[in-house]
Parts: sequence; structure tokens; C-alpha cells
Amino acid sequence: MLTVRGLAKTYATADGSFQALRGIDFDVPQGGFYTLLGESGCGKSTTLRCIAGLEEPDGGSISIAGHVVADVERGTHVPTFERDIGLVFQSYAIWPHMDVFANVAYPLSVQRPRLAAADIKARVMDALRLVGMESYTTRPATKLSGGQQQRVAFARALVRRPKLLLLDEPLSNLDAKLREQMRFELQELIARTGVTTLYVTHDQSEALAMSDTVAVMAAGRIVQSGAPREVYGRPVDRTVANFLGSANILRGKVVDAHDGLAEVTLDGGASTVQVPSRAVLSPGAPVDVIFRPEDATTHLDPVDGAIECAVERIVFQGGMSECQLRLGPVLLRTVVHPVMGARPGDRAWVAIQPERCILFAA
Amino acid sequence: MAVQADQAPVVGVARRKRRRSQLGLAGSIVVVGAAAAAIYLVMAPLLALLATAFRGPSDLLPFEPGAHWTFDNLVDVYVSTPLLSSVLPNTAIFVAGSVTVTFLTAFTLAWLVERTDLPWRTTLFTAILFPLLVPGVVMAFAWTLLFAPNAGWINVMLRGVLGLDSPGPINIFSMPGLILCQGIASVPFVFLLLGAAMRTMNPALEEASSASGARPLTTFLRVTLPVLRPGVLAPLILATLVALEQFEMPLIIGFPARINVFSTRIYFELNPEDELPAYGKAAAVALLFLVAAVVLLAIYNNLIKRADRFVTVTGKGYRPTRYPLGRWRAPALLFVGFYLAVGAILPAVVLVWTSFSGGSNESLNLDAYRALFADRRFWPAVGNTFLVAGLSAAVITLVGALLAWQILRLRFPGRALLDVVSFMSIGIPSVIAGFAVMVLHLTIPIGLYGTVWILILAYSYRLAVSTRLSRASLMQIHAELEEASAASGGRWLDTVRRVVLPLLAPSLMASFVLLFIVGFREFTIPMVLQSEDNWVLSVIMWKLQADRQTAQAAAVGTLILMFVTPVIFVLRRQLLSRQGDS
Ligand SMILES: Nc1ncnc2c1ncn2[C@@H]1O[C@H](COP(=O)(O)OP(=O)(O)O)[C@@H](O)[C@H]1O
Ligand SMILES: [Mg+2]
Repeated sequence: MLTVRGLAKTYATADGSFQALRGIDFDVPQGGFYTLLGESGCGKSTTLRCIAGLEEPDGGSISIAGHVVADVERGTHVPTFERDIGLVFQSYAIWPHMDVFANVAYPLSVQRPRLAAADIKARVMDALRLVGMESYTTRPATKLSGGQQQRVAFARALVRRPKLLLLDEPLSNLDAKLREQMRFELQELIARTGVTTLYVTHDQSEALAMSDTVAVMAAGRIVQSGAPREVYGRPVDRTVANFLGSANILRGKVVDAHDGLAEVTLDGGASTVQVPSRAVLSPGAPVDVIFRPEDATTHLDPVDGAIECAVERIVFQGGMSECQLRLGPVLLRTVVHPVMGARPGDRAWVAIQPERCILFAA
Repeated sequence: MAVQADQAPVVGVARRKRRRSQLGLAGSIVVVGAAAAAIYLVMAPLLALLATAFRGPSDLLPFEPGAHWTFDNLVDVYVSTPLLSSVLPNTAIFVAGSVTVTFLTAFTLAWLVERTDLPWRTTLFTAILFPLLVPGVVMAFAWTLLFAPNAGWINVMLRGVLGLDSPGPINIFSMPGLILCQGIASVPFVFLLLGAAMRTMNPALEEASSASGARPLTTFLRVTLPVLRPGVLAPLILATLVALEQFEMPLIIGFPARINVFSTRIYFELNPEDELPAYGKAAAVALLFLVAAVVLLAIYNNLIKRADRFVTVTGKGYRPTRYPLGRWRAPALLFVGFYLAVGAILPAVVLVWTSFSGGSNESLNLDAYRALFADRRFWPAVGNTFLVAGLSAAVITLVGALLAWQILRLRFPGRALLDVVSFMSIGIPSVIAGFAVMVLHLTIPIGLYGTVWILILAYSYRLAVSTRLSRASLMQIHAELEEASAASGGRWLDTVRRVVLPLLAPSLMASFVLLFIVGFREFTIPMVLQSEDNWVLSVIMWKLQADRQTAQAAAVGTLILMFVTPVIFVLRRQLLSRQGDS
């Protein structure tokens, strides 16, 4: 449906030039929900704006539903208004001089050949019903709350039934509670319309919860892409691991490696773990062993094969607590039940599930 | 010239307010003093003017022995003389025409500089500001040197190229000439205001239209223009007010063509050829235009309020998306170049050249400067110009800031009136301001009339510039910062001196600079109030050119340009750093 190949973009800046995109490739299948995830400034918006035609790339090609809309080599650049897209901005960009109805009707009213007024009305009402704003038609845009503007922006993006829906951090201007709620509404709405969606966000929980495919971006490249579970469970490097959820990192040395398993002694000589390993490692190589807080159990009595540490603090978070443990220079985080009666300074034993650990050459 | 008047009065804004009694004695004196100053500077002259319109006979001051209440002035002016058939239509045509020229030019320039990939934007931005600082008289004089039907440079050149006979082909001394000159002279400040409006517009609003499938022209008509509308209409009204009060172009360009507008009409009522000044008639003429100005101001006020409401989700680092000009690049540059040639380059060249050539085309010499420096009127005029501009700017800045503070932070009877008084000063045409101060000080003889001090008083009616700027930044300073000072044991004066003033300093500075420029350019008020002892540079220049001392007049103009040019660069740095792109 959406195909992006070798997308590159360099901005001219006051002190030279800045390479915002360094070759982006991805495909989104019909009806797919694809998310670009990455820290602020990594090039997510630039990618999306190139697809919308708001920026002209200086390398690569883009096609939407089989139409090539941009191809630098062949000099193709289809202007934004001729691309079959719906776009929701971070600032919503609701036109302040129109009411809700006029905002949503706009994409239909600029269509040629003209649509009949009755058709426009019916489709606008459909779109407004979809977002639950059908009783606000005559409300001026300036009298809408953030959440309402957001819904109007969605209705406006969907009203002409575009082939591709582009969303640039649509939830980031909402407060936390509303964001949570809108996330589910949005997901449901997109599922109902079945529109192919490209979603841009820097919020990993949004990305993991909503997408079919997540692509983690850094410095103008896609570092890893895949199903949310796969990217979360098998990050390709430390940056991805750290960016998606919190990760504990332990230093160690390979003792033995065979059959896709590596035996690693953790620094400090405390213990040895057997970890699955993709790479071929020779004995003696320094490695990082990474595991997620929820992949370890914490005990107040000695446990075989567990790592002994000292409790630094317990952070109560309601349904669960985060246990922070000191192991030499490293601070480990695990998840414990709030009833666990540990106190700062207590000894504790952390048992990791070796098969859930990830190994990177250090 | 109320360039920065971008907010409406605040009466009605809910805030915690204190009573005057909490200020202590010193505080009360300062605050009451500022209010009294505002009344003395703005209200008293206007009331004197009002009385003058209804006192007769016309050649007497309103409260001279022998004067009495009457409607004769109004009847004279509006019924028996051709005011309605000449001055009124002339003024209307002049204002409408020049505002149209100004707007079309300024909108195009602002759009090119702010929204397209026009090359050399920063340089052009600076150059476009040129006429903003150069006094209108200087521009008017330079344009007559260029476009006078007989000896104007451009006409001489055109006749040479086209093989025509003298005079012509261009006659600046005509209504179209007057309109074009005024129209070009007002471009810079409208350009600044429109540019600001375009800059603060969220480009995503246009991009959303494009992503909805609208073509560029549709986007421009249905999104860009409507969203900009409040930001466009407010400068439009200000430009109308400015055109209405214009005096220098009508005097220098309109008078030879026998075109009288309202400002020159008032001036000639007060300075008739061989009769006594007709105070009553002048006041009667002024009345109508004062009402017109107040109506415009009320509309402006309304628009500004609406513009504030137009703000929806505000800025998250908007990136300026610029339209590629493509093959329109050359015509766009040509347009900017034409404006710059007529508005800046040619006037500067003709002034400098004329000042060194002694008006003839023989050889370059310094005769004009020697004569000028030997003229006993010149050096006092230099002193007067800077003294009056500097002191009036200081007075207005101080009084205006104190007024803004008490209107925002205090509760007292008459607060709303004070707010209206200070705001109204934007709308008072300067001829009327000068005339009103004249009547007041001829009536209460405290020895100021005819001195430079009366100029300082008269200039100081422009309180709105300072109250608006101060208020904008006072609103950013939370009242709690002041309350914290009080809670730490600071008295009112300590709070003002150690908390409010330092935080307010940037806007006070901006207000002072702006008012200094306005005062430096001022021509109307010193003309109305002139005497042997209080000539300023712009008046001296006018006198020299009226006496056909063309080279000396050009020398004054050249000196003014030399002073103003560096100021333009300082101003540009300020403007660019505020908009944060350079
Ligand atoms: N118009 C521009 N001119 C210069 N640099 C830009 C421009 N737009 C974006 N950039 C830079 O490109 C990088 C990527 O920007 P963007 O795609 O907006 O990042 P994000 O991932 O936060 O959406 C940033 O470092 C940004 O500063
Ligand atoms: Mg972004």
C-alpha cells in the first residue's frame, strides 16, 4: 500500500546542512497500522511530511496505493493536494475561522467535480458520528477543548475516505488521562474504518499498544522494525532495548558458547548464566546481558543461581512496586508485589530467567 | 504613528486588585501624579479644543474677553464654506487612495519576505524599513526633487529618452502624485505589522488545507486570508488613522497643486496669509475629524479583541514553510527593487547629490554645508530636535508605564476612564494635538508658549505607545512577584524600584526607542506650535526649501539620513532577534 525506498532529506541550516533522513525503507500493507517510534529530532515528522508531500525529499521514492507520488531520480513530485491522504497534525490545525461542520466539510467542498450539498452533509455527519462530535456541528472552532479539537481533526482527516492516514503525534498535546482514553478510541476508530495508517510518536507505550508494526528510528535511520512483541523482546542493540521499556544491563564474560547458547560469568564473579545468543561468540569475549524488570523475580532469602544484591529503595506505584537493587556500581530494577516487606539495606536475591535475557557483544 | 499599539484596553479583566490606600504616601503621590499628568497631557487640551469650537468670534481665544458661546464656527465651517465640497472629498480620496497603495505594496512585500524563498530576504527586510525612520518631510522634499514637472530628475531623464517637451511627463503636484507618495511613505510600518501577523500564523493550518485536497489558490482564499483577517484589518485601520493625520505630504506636495485636506486646512485656518488666526473655525474643522478618528479607533479596538480570540492551539516551534517562487522570482525581485528605488535609493541619492552640487549641475562643493553651519538657526534646531525627542520619549515612557501599572493592578474610581484616555491618544491626529495644546497654553499663560518646552508637552500626548507596551509585559509579570516583595517587607517604592522596573526594563527601552524615533520624525506639531525659538530640524528643512534654498535643505536632509541609517541596522537586529530567525 505504502512503499518507501531510500528516502533521504537534507535541510539547509544557518551553519551548513543537516541530514535529517539517511535512507529510510519500509512497506505498510493494506489496512496495516505502522508506527515510527523514536526520540524527538530523529526524523519521524520529516518522514511523514515527505509522504504527505509537504517536504520534497532529495533521495528515494514513495508510492501510495500503487501511485508513485515521489521519485527523486525521475523527478516526480506529486503536490500534497493531489495525494490521497488524511493528515492529523500535532497541533490539530483546526481552522479558527470555521465552525466544526465547516472544518470537517472542507475536504469534500474542495473536491472536483463538486459533490452535492446533501452528500457532503451526509458524509460530514457520518464522520462526526464516528468521532462522537455529531452534536457540535455549529460550535466555533475556537470554543473547543483539546480533546474535541483532536476529534474534529480526525473527522476531517477521514471524511474523504483517504487511502492512507498520517498521524503526527496526535495524542501528545492531551493530558495523561485523556491521552489514555483517546488512544483506545483512536485504535477502535481506525480498526472500524480499516484505513492504512502511519503513526508517528515518541511514546513507546502508545507504539507498543496500537501498532501492527513498530519501526524504531534514530538519527535519520530505521534501526529495527517488527511486531511490537518481537521488537520489545528481541531488541537489536542497547539503544533499542533502552528506548523500549526499561532494561537492566549486566557486564560479563563468555565462558563457553555452543548451540545458540552462551555461558556467561557476570562481573564480580557472583554467578554464571546461560543465555541464548544469536551471534557467534568466542570464550573470553566481554558481553552485556540485558533483561527486563518483569523477567526477574526478587527474593529475600538465598535462591540457587540468583544474584545477591542490596535493596536500595522500593518505589510504591499502586498495583505493584519497583524494587531498586544495588549490585556494585549497577542499579537493577525489578517488579515486586507491593506487599513484599523489603526495606532499604536488606539483602535480596534476584533470579533471572536466562531464556528471556538478551546478549550483546560489549 | 502608533506602531506597537497591539492591545485593547483591559478594563474588565479579572485580577486581584489592591486599593490605592495600600501604597503609602510616596506611592500615592507617584501614582496620582501619573494620572494627573495623563489628564493634563491628553484630556485638558482636548477639552480646550472642544470649548474653542463653541466660542466666538472665531479670531478670539475661547476665554478672551469678548468671546461668547456660539454655533457660528460650526455654521461657518459646515454650512457656508466649501468644506463639504472640497476638503472632505479630498481627504477621503487621499486617505482611501494612499491606504490602498500602502496595503497592496506592504502585503506583497510582507508575503514575499515572510512566506516565499525570495533571495536576500534579510537585506531586503532592512532596506524596506528605510522610510520608517526618515522624516516624512525629507521624503516629500526628495520626491519633489525627483518628480517635479520641470526640474525633477526623473522627468528630465524621461524627456531626454522619449524626446518630449517640458514640463512633464510626470506631475507629482497632483492628487495621484500625492496619493502615491503618501502610499509609499506608509509602507514600512504596515509591512512590519503584516509581517508579524504572517509570522505568527501556524503553517499547519495551510498544510491541513493542502492535505485535504485543496489547490494552492483555494488554500490562499479559504484559509490563509480568513485566518490572517484580524491581523490584516487592524493594520488597515491604523494605516487609515495615519493617513488621516498626514500633514507633510499634503503641505509639500498637495499645496502647490491646491489640494487641501483636513490637516492642511486646519493649519491654514491658524496661519492665514494676512488675517488673524481663526481658532474657532479650525476647532470646528478638527471636531469632525476627531470624531472620525475615535470611530476608527473603536473599530480597531474591537478587532484587536477578536484577534486575541482567534488564537487556538499555539506554537510548538512552527517551521516556516516557504513557497518556492520558481519563475516568479525575477518579477518578485523587480517589484521589490522598484519599491526600494522609489522609496529609498533614489531619494537618498538625489538628496546627497543636491546637497553637494548646490542645486546646479556644475561641480561638487561644500557651499551648502558652509552656509548651513553658519546659519544661526541651525545649531539650536539640532539641539531642540534631540532634546524634544529625548525628553518627550522619557516622559511618555515613564507616565505610560505608571498608568499601565495602576490600571492593571489597582482598584479606584475612574480607572476605566483613565484607560480610555490613554488608549485614545493613538487616534488623535497630530495637527489636532498640536492645536489643542496651543489653545490650552494660550489660555492659561504659564509662559510655555513659544518655547521648546511646549513641544515636549505636545509630543507627550502619545501615551498609548508606552501604556500598550508596558501592559503587554506587565501581564507577563505575575502579581505574585510583587506580592512576594511586599511579603518580604518591601514598601511600594522598593517593590517598583527593585522588582517591577528591572523586569519591565526591556519594554521600557523599546518604548523609549520607538517614541524617540517618532519624536525625531515629528513635523506637524512643531509646525503648528512654531516660534523663532523652538525650530527643529524638520521645520528648518521645510523653511529652507520653501525659501528655495534647495541645496541647504538637501544638506539638512542628508545629515538626517546619516543619523538615521545606523539606527535602521540597530532596529533590524532588535526585530530579527525577537522573531528568532536570522
Ligand atoms: N525546516 C528545517 N530546517 C532545518 N532543520 C530541520 C527542519 N525541519 C526539521 N529539521 C531538523 O531535522 C531533524 C528531524 O526533525 P523531525 O523530523 O521534526 O524530528 P521528529 O522525529 O522529532 O519529528 C531535527 O533535528 C530538526 O531539527
Ligand atoms: Mg515531530
